[in-house]
Amino acid sequence: MLTDGSRLRVGVIGLGKMGVMHACLLNTFPHVTVAALCDKGTLMRKIAKKAFPNAIITGEIGRFADLDLDAVCVATPIPVHYQIIKEVYGRGIAPNVFAEKTLTSSFRQSLELCALAENSGVNMVGYMKRFAVTFNKAKELLNEHVLGDLVSFEGYAFSSDFSEVPKGSKISEARGGVIEDLGSHVVDLAVWIFGDLTVESATANYRCTPRSEDDVTFYVNGLDGLQGKFEVSWRKSGYRMPEFGLTVHGTMGALHVNDDELRLELSQSPPTRWYRHDMDDNVRFLLGGPEYYRETMHFFNSIASGAHTISDFRSALKVDFLLEQVREKCR
Amino acid sequence: MTSTQFSLLVGDNPFHGISHLSQQRARTRFDQSQENVQHAANLVALSLENGADGFMFSVDQTTLSIIEQVSQNHNGDPIRLYAIAPYAYEYVRKATQNGGVSGLAKNLAKEMLFSSNIKVVASNAAGLLRLNLSALLKTYVAYELSRIKAVAKKNVILESFMLHEIITDMTLALNLKDLCKTYITFLEEQNIRPGFETRNFPYLVNKFREWNIDFSKITLTSAFNKVGFQMCPSKQECEEALSRACEAEVIAMSVLAAGYLKPADAVGYLTGLSGLSGLVIGVSKERQATETFRLFKSGLPSVELSDYVLSEVKM
Repeated sequence: MLTDGSRLRVGVIGLGKMGVMHACLLNTFPHVTVAALCDKGTLMRKIAKKAFPNAIITGEIGRFADLDLDAVCVATPIPVHYQIIKEVYGRGIAPNVFAEKTLTSSFRQSLELCALAENSGVNMVGYMKRFAVTFNKAKELLNEHVLGDLVSFEGYAFSSDFSEVPKGSKISEARGGVIEDLGSHVVDLAVWIFGDLTVESATANYRCTPRSEDDVTFYVNGLDGLQGKFEVSWRKSGYRMPEFGLTVHGTMGALHVNDDELRLELSQSPPTRWYRHDMDDNVRFLLGGPEYYRETMHFFNSIASGAHTISDFRSALKVDFLLEQVREKCR
Repeated sequence: MTSTQFSLLVGDNPFHGISHLSQQRARTRFDQSQENVQHAANLVALSLENGADGFMFSVDQTTLSIIEQVSQNHNGDPIRLYAIAPYAYEYVRKATQNGGVSGLAKNLAKEMLFSSNIKVVASNAAGLLRLNLSALLKTYVAYELSRIKAVAKKNVILESFMLHEIITDMTLALNLKDLCKTYITFLEEQNIRPGFETRNFPYLVNKFREWNIDFSKITLTSAFNKVGFQMCPSKQECEEALSRACEAEVIAMSVLAAGYLKPADAVGYLTGLSGLSGLVIGVSKERQATETFRLFKSGLPSVELSDYVLSEVKM
């Protein structure tokens, strides 16, 4: 973090669940001032005014232009990320940008934002699973080649968010479809761990509304013959919280990892299991999940050091590229 | 408003299908129990027979039904209730289905207006119209209290009403001192001990000291376990903060670190802590309900002493 005693002035755009959570978390960082908040909804603006009496509260992002912000956090629905981030760079609102995932709704838009971000400060997309202790341990083990040569993997991202929503309901549309909303996390983990992937085939079900897919299955190919399968759904029953996981098969065994635990099964050895408890999962301030604190900390540390974040726009572009392929194969 | 009796409370996480150790495991167990309120009520009753003296629960339809069933057949001392609200999952789900936080707020406002204590709504009407946070919180708490009181009619005593960790920790993060004080005063006026569940115990203790909050009047619930699970920022800092909050009624949760620890292992750690007033444990099987509370009752020999000091216990 900053060592010269100065404070970073941050603006938050979008006060839904994620925006509120980020605003609260930011307020616990000693070197950060939440200087401005923006939301289209009158109700949320009124509440924000009470909670942040010294901040500028507005419904128009243009008001951020003269506030001398160091960074913005974009937590709006995905479909408007592109327009907002473009405006942030275009108007010089802030040099450093954190955006909730996915970067945009399309590869083309994300590519354009990557170019815009090139000459600015630090950028990051909120793929917070990269900051989960279990997935970090999995990556560490796979980097050590504990499974030998990798053969295949299966990834899943499930939630019950819309399991009880009747057919024809349009409430899921605002979240842009399950591929982006949930699938992007597990795709990001896979790209992070296995490198570039290409989509072989994909199928989608549109049970609620034709403008927003609910269940998607797709197959991918990776380096050295690696094959993968993803299953994504926000209509699974029993998933009170979104859950993400990977099973990886290698020539020497298999590895299962999700948000809670990691299990390593090597040939001719008893399985080894690690829970989050075994991996020092505590943070300075816990809100929502320890990953959120760690990703925020990483963003600010990167601003202080001028280094790239581990989930910058360029790496997020790889996710958007894959998601675009999935959408195309589903058509 | 008892604060000197050591409390052994049954928790409700298993009844909602929650496991902080493994959601996969929770799902399997929850499916097996078929969301059976009767089964849960039996487990609570069995726990009470074997040493538990209260029930800590998130306010929702499942737990309210459990309370209704248990209290009807209960004999002996009143069951001590520790309510936690809001039940975050229920509201997150509602937010999803109502088109976000804004949609949730509008729908909740309607529910509160029609179900809360009319006096509370009337006395806060001006504040509600101006979206004053204190008025909103008071009306919301009154709404949740009315839900509890509708089922908790006999053989129970509402010992404490606690803010869920999400709200507590957001209040701390946003430095909402006045809101916090309003909440405490409002509950004191209802003769209910105000409580706070938190995942940031040292942060809360520091803030509350800074805000001159009287610890002797409040209940705090936070994680305390041998492996430091969810003890943020660290096990050591949580233990140290406990010694600075000993005037409060402090209830330890996650004492088994979500099932990572065996009860026998947990007892040893808890007996070495000074400043705890009670603990809460969830059970999902009859055998657990019987054995766990027996063990904690016998393993913590001073639980029946009114002036409970854990550090003085020699195991």
